[in-house]
Amino acid sequence: MKELNVPALARVEGDGGITVTLDGKKVKSVTLDVHEGPRLIEQLVRGMKPEDDVNVVPRICAICTLSHKFAAIRGMEKALDITPPEKADLTRELMMLGENIESNSLHTMLLALPDFLGYPSAVAMLNDYTDDVKRALKLKKFGNHIMEVTSGRIVHGENPIIGGFGKYPGKKALEEIKAKSHEMIPDAARVVELFASLEIPKYADVDSDKVFMSVSAPKKKFHLYGDEILVSNGKDFPADDYKKFTNERVVPHSFAKRSKYNDKTFMVGANARLINMGKRLDGHAADLFKEHFDKRWLRNPLYNNLAQAIEIVWAMESLPDACDKVASMDDPPTEQPMRKTGSGTGAVEAPRGTLYHHYELKDGLVDVADIITPTAQNLDDIEMHMKLAAERMLAEGKKDDEVRLGLEMIARAYDPCISCATHLVTLKRF
Amino acid sequence: MHKLRHAPGDPEEVLKAALEGVAGPGPVYVLGLGYADKADDGAGVLVAETLKKPFPNHSFSEHDGVEGTVLDISEKEGPATVFFVDATDIRDAPGTIMVVPREGIKETEISTHRVPVALMASILGREGKGTAVVCVQVKSLEFRGGLSPEVSTAVELLVRVFGDIMGRRDE
Repeated sequence: MKELNVPALARVEGDGGITVTLDGKKVKSVTLDVHEGPRLIEQLVRGMKPEDDVNVVPRICAICTLSHKFAAIRGMEKALDITPPEKADLTRELMMLGENIESNSLHTMLLALPDFLGYPSAVAMLNDYTDDVKRALKLKKFGNHIMEVTSGRIVHGENPIIGGFGKYPGKKALEEIKAKSHEMIPDAARVVELFASLEIPKYADVDSDKVFMSVSAPKKKFHLYGDEILVSNGKDFPADDYKKFTNERVVPHSFAKRSKYNDKTFMVGANARLINMGKRLDGHAADLFKEHFDKRWLRNPLYNNLAQAIEIVWAMESLPDACDKVASMDDPPTEQPMRKTGSGTGAVEAPRGTLYHHYELKDGLVDVADIITPTAQNLDDIEMHMKLAAERMLAEGKKDDEVRLGLEMIARAYDPCISCATHLVTLKRF
Repeated sequence: MHKLRHAPGDPEEVLKAALEGVAGPGPVYVLGLGYADKADDGAGVLVAETLKKPFPNHSFSEHDGVEGTVLDISEKEGPATVFFVDATDIRDAPGTIMVVPREGIKETEISTHRVPVALMASILGREGKGTAVVCVQVKSLEFRGGLSPEVSTAVELLVRVFGDIMGRRDE
């Protein structure tokens, strides 16, 4: 028996590794091992007031901080029977666009791209791709700026609150974002151009179409939140039924929970969003999706990088209208709870996929909290693709280093956030 | 490459001379890194936030966005030097300061949450800007722990020394 290890998976967030166990030339198993310690957040917030919970739970992640904030607020507002003002909804959409630009530009250009171009890292790319590396940082900076304007800070902003916003962004700041977004559309389009020009390795292709899940955004729009969940097999479910289609379970080699739908792995993320809602896109993003989408997207997770790139264009094109709408409205008062006991599920699309926050409140305090992150939903799918790819690459006589890189590229394509996915404690009693 | 080690109690002038020696022509910028809620990890941020009051255009912290700040500085005309100030574990006495010039900044992997200083330094270097990392040896990383006395002294020292260097270049 031989083991082929990637002890520390680089260019992802958190502490994880890949173990491939070989029996002769046969791949016995491939595991994405999550070593990151458990966070205990769901237990930590029990007994808290809703307004405290929504300040604590975004600390799960410093990059998807606004997705966690938004999912928690949505879950809490349902539990408290609050309908947020329209201006709050629109400002939340705006902040999610900023987070999407920030995260997708970092992942595509600085984390995923070096593998495809044959560089060990973005630092090594700098000499040959100076403008592109700087472009990635400019896009990230702009995304951060939108997050700061809407939420109050670059990381862990506290402006979004249950029932509205502490302070709405001012007209001058919105005008600046609008102007800058026009200016940066070519930068976003360049990211698509780069990823569309790459040859996507076939070793990760599965033989039949995979299952992809995402929210269905309201009003048949393409956006990053919704109360319905779309499955690429044509089915849809209310987000409140998330347990039925995520089916969480534990595995011995990982601190993160796992999910399967109808006993099959599934994928969430940018490609799932485009596969399920791509027809709702408009503008240049729609043209790019039509031009670059093909059936291999349904079989190979490496296309998630290109999907993220197209989303950057979508987000950039969505900003002017979003800014205009927010700027045109007066600041509404914060909506107050209609009840103290109830339950609610908030589903949003974090950059790396669907994120659920479910709360049950009793007499105004958190009784139950359940958070299911995108990475936890993707882990089984990552392992399935890595096993298939390892078998193919070894059968083709690839060297160990090539197999390692191939498997890392697959894991990285999911843009996994291992820190977010670890909230499980296995207690063994002897 | 010559790293400078400044132990607690060493003469202030030695540190000042070393930083002056690393800084090339043009303005000096301080960019403080770290997490202020984790005791000594916030040393870099505290240095930068304190210097921001007298030097709002030359001192920045993690709160201002690291990549954006670096891009802005890289686009300014003329030479300049950026000092990244960060709490680190250099296996030395708490409060010890180490100045690591550009050529000693090791490349670390980029992660979803972190763009390495090496990439920032490379971008600045391509635009003719010098860089160095100023490391402060931590004692405690306890959450909400507050600065240790040793690191607090190092922070005050760095504020004085950088304040003096930046003040003279600002004149």
